[in-house]
This record gives sequence, structure tokens and C-alpha cells, in this order.
Amino acid sequence: MNTVTSTKLPNYSLAIDTSAGTTVALLSLGSVVAEVNYLEPMTHSERIGSAIQTVLKQGQVSPRDIYQVVVGRGPGPFTGLRVGLAAAKFFAIGAKAELVGVCSLDAIAYSYYLANPDQSLPLLVTTDARRKEVFWALYAGIIEGVPTRVEGPSVNKPEYLTEYLSGQKHVLCDLPITASALGQVAYYQALTDIGPSKDSSPIYLREPDAVPGKAKKVSG
Amino acid sequence: MTYLIREATATDLEPIMAIEVECFVNDAWSKENMQSELAAPHTYYLVAVVEDFVVGYAGSSQLDGATQADIQTIAVKPNQRGSGIGRALMVALTKEAKRRGAKEIFLEVRADNTVAQKLYKIFGFKQIGLRKQYYKPDGVDAFVMKTSLLPEVVAEPLVLGIETSCDETGIGIVRGNTLLANVISSSMELHARFGGVVPEVAARAHLEALLPVLEQALAEANVTLDDLDAIAVTNGPGLAGALMVGVGAAKALAVATGKPIYAVNHLVGHVGADILDQGSLTVPTIALLVSGGHTSLLLVKDLLNDVQLLGETIDDAAGEAFDKVARVLSLPYPGGPEIDKAALGGNPSAIRFPRGLTLPKDMDEHRYDFSFSGLKTAVARHVELAESKGEEFVVADVAASFREAVVDVLVNKAIAACLDHKIHRLLLGGGVIANSRLREVAIAKCAANGIELRIPPLSLCTDNGAMIAILGSQLVQGGYAPSTLDFSADSTLSVTTIQS
Repeated sequence: MNTVTSTKLPNYSLAIDTSAGTTVALLSLGSVVAEVNYLEPMTHSERIGSAIQTVLKQGQVSPRDIYQVVVGRGPGPFTGLRVGLAAAKFFAIGAKAELVGVCSLDAIAYSYYLANPDQSLPLLVTTDARRKEVFWALYAGIIEGVPTRVEGPSVNKPEYLTEYLSGQKHVLCDLPITASALGQVAYYQALTDIGPSKDSSPIYLREPDAVPGKAKKVSG
Repeated sequence: MTYLIREATATDLEPIMAIEVECFVNDAWSKENMQSELAAPHTYYLVAVVEDFVVGYAGSSQLDGATQADIQTIAVKPNQRGSGIGRALMVALTKEAKRRGAKEIFLEVRADNTVAQKLYKIFGFKQIGLRKQYYKPDGVDAFVMKTSLLPEVVAEPLVLGIETSCDETGIGIVRGNTLLANVISSSMELHARFGGVVPEVAARAHLEALLPVLEQALAEANVTLDDLDAIAVTNGPGLAGALMVGVGAAKALAVATGKPIYAVNHLVGHVGADILDQGSLTVPTIALLVSGGHTSLLLVKDLLNDVQLLGETIDDAAGEAFDKVARVLSLPYPGGPEIDKAALGGNPSAIRFPRGLTLPKDMDEHRYDFSFSGLKTAVARHVELAESKGEEFVVADVAASFREAVVDVLVNKAIAACLDHKIHRLLLGGGVIANSRLREVAIAKCAANGIELRIPPLSLCTDNGAMIAILGSQLVQGGYAPSTLDFSADSTLSVTTIQS
């Protein structure tokens, strides 16, 4: 008899994003089964464990039934972002699931197009990057459930962005990111020829703040 | 102070009643009630004893074959509180309830007794109901609390420990008290050009290193995640952003594998590391932990219940001082080994650098505290002065004299702590223990004072996951309930919080 290495059906996926608040969703074939959203931007490491446990419990799904973990790669404030990425990596290895990464801004664009089917103007998605800057990406529309990102993700001052896009009419959206939308983007990506990205590395867009040290003068 | 927990007998009635009246005043049980409680076949009463005196007691009730137990009472003499006796009594009660087949434990607690409620929460108790004006004659409400988080007592638990509090990503695996794997990925080289640990650089490195380090640890221990009995993780103290990477990963791994999780204290982990070398930890002991992030002097009476902070640095950690002085002397990072090398052949008495917080006026308030900021400045001034005068200075002498000042203070204060507390045992931990002069002086001065010195191997002294795993293993073996999933990463976690 042959040994069956994987008996998992591609039914359940777990989506995790901590690029803004903490959002976790359980999806079945692209439909949302359960979702937990915490908007506050500081409590990722407290929330992440019970958030995952809650959606599994609500969906009455064992971790072993999860075939795919979808993680938001950001951009977003680094400290929080990493909590979701670390959790996704270790959940995936613990549950023997595959891990795929999605740009968090794509999930916002997905939510926008779900509510606003009109694609005649490009869509500008921005999120707060702190330090008076925004993370942003520009979308041309949505094809088969996958938002078409034409520029970004990048980080800039809002004034720069206004000037950069001055000749170009576009619509704006500042919807919150949800793990359900993130999971759905991955689901539709899997149906395309390219498939979802195995890259789950963080999208930081900024280097760490640190300057190479020199010995400081102590006395005058 | 050492205490003993044993089953209560009828002869304990008098001392128990004395504590009952002292602690509960208006709500105290009558002597007759207490007597029948102690004698009843379905109850289990324990006393905590210090030097032959009963200082606390606790009891539970569970009918034969019942899956529910009730905690009837728990009390510790006010002057004996704060040293973990209440917690130890709770551990013993929950263990016994579990042994008798309990799946849930209930209790009632005065609504205004927040200290007791905090203790119960450690054991997973949550409020499930309210009894109005339950406590007569005060008319105080009772909270009804319940836990189903009963410890799984495993004799030789297989525990995985995750450590990300500073710049080492460490994952260790132990079975019982035996080390199976201790894999460390350090981001030290990435910090070299900055002359010190950059928190954001460290946190980024943790995220990248976690998975390969986990896979290597599992391979070295030749176990799978399914084999584990528990997962332990450092939740403080340390760099917040770095801690959060490990905490997020550990929680998700615990949920994915269905394993219990133990959030443990990094500093207490350093103390526990000695178990991996010796098979056990002899207590009480004084512990001196010296690293790039910490300089702490601890009094350890019980690894799982009673660790006290005697003193710590009030400014730079000792390792940080080495790094900063290395920069002053144009030596590379990390400074410790570089200064060790530079000091070769140098005269440690060439320059009398200041010994921080050792003057009589400081010793009242800061007897066991450290300060290295002034020392670092003194070295810089010495070097700058020589340079401004166009004089040559001997790097070996400066390095040796600086190192001597650090070592003097560290060892003298540790020895003083041992002698003051009449504890003739000193344990060293932390990366700075690698410093050859520190070890030499500690060995010599401990021998001169009749103090037994323990220095675990360096691989267990620097930050590592094995020390977190062994602390988790000790908690499992001791019957401690796992942590609940909502604990936080606490960069300033007190050493008295051994498990969160």
C-alpha cells in the first residue's frame, strides 16, 4: 500500500494580518467561516494566539485541517507586522500547512472592489506609515478576484504622492484591512496561472534607524 | 527561608485555627468546622511548614470518582506572604485534584480580595458567577471561579524553549532535565558596525532565523513537534520588538500543535540553565547575571516560586560598558572579548578608575546595585586628556584597569550578598561570564570566602533557548498549569514573575 503523505483537502485556510490591527480569518474554499478583528494597533502579541484559537473554535476546525496559511506581508509598522509573520510561519509548520504571502494593501483593494465594482478610475490605497508618511499602492482594477497592482507598495510623504499623481484622476480608499479579504485574494490568486506567492518575507520599505557608531567625545 | 508542604493531620488544628482567625477575622470558620473538614474522607488538606511552625494551609474537597473538585480554603500567615507559599499550596492542591480524576476545579473568593484573585488567575481560574452578600457578617459578594486548566504532570517532559529577548535567536529542546538540542543564531555581526545592539536590526534577524533554528533544533534532538509535551517562551525582560517575535511564534505554534505554553522569565532561565549542567539546582543560591542587557544580583530560594532581586544596574549593563569602552579605545564590537585581548600584559593597577556605588554613602541605598556609566566616562576622559596633551597612553593598561574596575565591583557585591544572606553559594550567568578575568577573580574570592561557585558552560551562559526549555520543563514537572494565551511580551518583566 502506498503511504499517503497528505490527506488534506484544500478546504480550509487561515489568514493572518498584523500590519495595522490584529485580524485573523478562517476560510473555506474562499468563503469566510469565522473572523476576528482587533483594530487597536499595539496589542498584536497579546491577541494573536487567542485570535487564531477563536476562529478555529468558531469554525469547529482542527489545526490539522488547515492546508494553507495566508499572511499579510505589510507594509505596516514593523513591530506589529512581525508578530503576524512569526505566528504564520510557526502555525504553518505546526499544522503542516503551506504558507503563502500577500501584500496587505491588496486586501484593502479587494475590499474596495467588492463594494465598488466601477473600475473606470485607478484606485489609490494608502495606510498610515507614521512619521508623516503613507504606505501606498495604485491599482488599475480587479481581474478574477485579484486586484491589479500597477504601482507600489511604496512609502512617501502625502505631498509627494499628490504631486506625483497630479495629472492622473483616481479614487481613494481608506478601508481597514481584514484577514478575510487577504484570504480571498490568496484564494483567487491560486486559481490563476501564476498562483499565490510563497514569499512570506516582510515588506518593510524602510531601513532600520541606526547610524554606524563612532567614539563620542565625552569632555569638551 | 525554606518551607515544606505536607498533608495536614489532626494535630495541626491549633496552629491552623490561629492563622484562620488572623486571616479571615469575621469570616473565620469555627474550630469544630475546621476539625470536621480535616477529618472528612472527601477532603484533602495541606499545611506549609517553616522551621516546624505551620505558616499556611489549604484544602480541597472532591467526592470519590467526581470530576469536579472545590478549593475550600487557602491561607498564609501575613508575615510569610510574598515568597511563593500560596502558589506552592495551589500547585499541590491542583496536582492532587488532577490525580483524583478532576477535570474542573471551583472556588469562591471575596470580591474585595484582589490578591487571592490574582493568584487564582495564574492557575487559569476565571469568574463564572457571583454570589451576592455571601460573606457574613460583612455583606461582601463572592466571585465563583472555575478552572479547567489542570496541569499535565509528566515525569520526563519533552519541552521546546524559544528565546528572542535580545540579539540571539535561540531554540532549545530538553527531555526532563537533559539537554537534547541548543541551537543559537546570533545577529551580533549585523550590529558590529553600529557598536551596539540595534533593536530593529535584532527583531528583523529573529524573524528570519526562527524557522531554520527550529528545524535544526528538531533535527539535532531527533524529535518532531508532535512529540513535544510543552512549549516555553521568554516573555521578558528584554527588547520589546524582539520579544514579540518569539511570543507571536510560540503562541501560534502552541495553537497549531495543541500543546500547552509556558511564558517564562528570561533572567530566571539563566539561573535554571545550571540544571542542564548539574542535573539539579542547589538552593538557596545567590546568582549574578551579567550580559549586554542585564547586570542583576538575585537571591534564589526556589527556582519556580521564590526569586528575589537584590540589586541591578542603575544605568548601563556591564556588557554595554565593555562595548562603549571598546569604542573609546577604537576596538571592534563586541567589546568584551576585545578588551580581554587588549588587556593582555596590561597593568590592572596602572589607573585607578572609579568603582561605581561602592562609597559608604551609596552603600546604604545601593548595596547590591551597580553603575558603570561613570566608569565609562572616566575611561573616555583619561583617553581624551592624554590625546589632547599629545601623550601616548598604553591601551593594555587602560583596558586592564577598566576591566579590573568592572570585575571588582561585580565580584565584591556578589560576595557581599552571599555573606550578608549567609548563603555560601554563587551562580554566574550571562554572556559577560566569558570574560576570563571575571572568572579568575570570582574563583579566587569565592575560594577565599568559603563560597561554592557554579559557572555553567558558556553555551548555557549566553542567551539560549535551552535555558527557557529547562525552566518550562521544571514547571511541567512541578505540576504548574500552563500560561493562558493572552500573556504579553513585557520588556521590564520583574524577576519575581517567574511564569506569566
